[in-house]
Amino acid sequence: MFKELDPILHSQLRLAVMSLLIGIKEAEFTFIREKTNATAGNLSVQVQKLKDAGYIEVVKQFKNNYPQTICKITPAGLAAFEAYVKALQGYLKAGK
Amino acid sequence: MKEQKTLSEKESLELITSMIEKVKSSYHETGIVALLWGSVVAIASLVNYLEIEFSFELGFDIWLLVLFALIPHVIISMKERRLKKVRKHEDDALDAVWLAYGISIFGLVAYENIVPSVAGSSIPSIYSLFLLLYALPTLVTGLVKKFRPMLIGAILTYGLFIASCFTVTKYDVLFGAVAALTCWFIPGLILRKRYLEQRRTHV
Repeated sequence: MFKELDPILHSQLRLAVMSLLIGIKEAEFTFIREKTNATAGNLSVQVQKLKDAGYIEVVKQFKNNYPQTICKITPAGLAAFEAYVKALQGYLKAGK
Repeated sequence: MKEQKTLSEKESLELITSMIEKVKSSYHETGIVALLWGSVVAIASLVNYLEIEFSFELGFDIWLLVLFALIPHVIISMKERRLKKVRKHEDDALDAVWLAYGISIFGLVAYENIVPSVAGSSIPSIYSLFLLLYALPTLVTGLVKKFRPMLIGAILTYGLFIASCFTVTKYDVLFGAVAALTCWFIPGLILRKRYLEQRRTHV
């Protein structure tokens, strides 16, 4: 029996954000936008969804008088990502 | 990139791989600080060698260059920090290593200026240098693991190192005992207590 893929992660942009954050400590919102080629509005919505799920932490602060948004993965997000990748591998193995 | 697109399992894995690769390729150090110190220390060492080899004096201490290089170092570091959009896990550890290194170099310079030289090849008050070394890994571990007892131990040991530069060797050894207790023994007791408590709760 296959594990159902986490619907929060099984979306192109949210998965891209989580994949970017998985290997680093934290990243600025502008960096994520640049790497995903997403619009600021769309990215904001998806970041909020990840935050609501407890998968990422979002810190808003000021840097040199400019607003800055920092995103970092949480332990719950890390566990969910690992489970998601494991489930994906299960599907792919079964498909061979 | 759109949120709505439904991904196949294969596409998901490809997306994960490509994003991880994007992070890897987007993050490079500028190398300016390394170039600065590489050139300053090389020039100072070379000029110092030439002074000794050909018995001449510049009229000022060439190693002052190192002191002046601290100014551009601070300016460049602040600028680079401002431009950095990503912070990696290893950044904190590397910052801790370089901080400990900086303190050690400062300590060695202080030692060189405070401890009087003696005839022969033996190093005077050598235990002071051991104290400096005791503090180094303790400070790095304390900073990386955010473990306050080791941070306190390291700071105390740096204080003992400075004191040891002014005392005779027998007291330096005594300071060594205090350093070993504060750097490792007391933190070790705390860690042991935590470990045993954790084991009890998991049984």
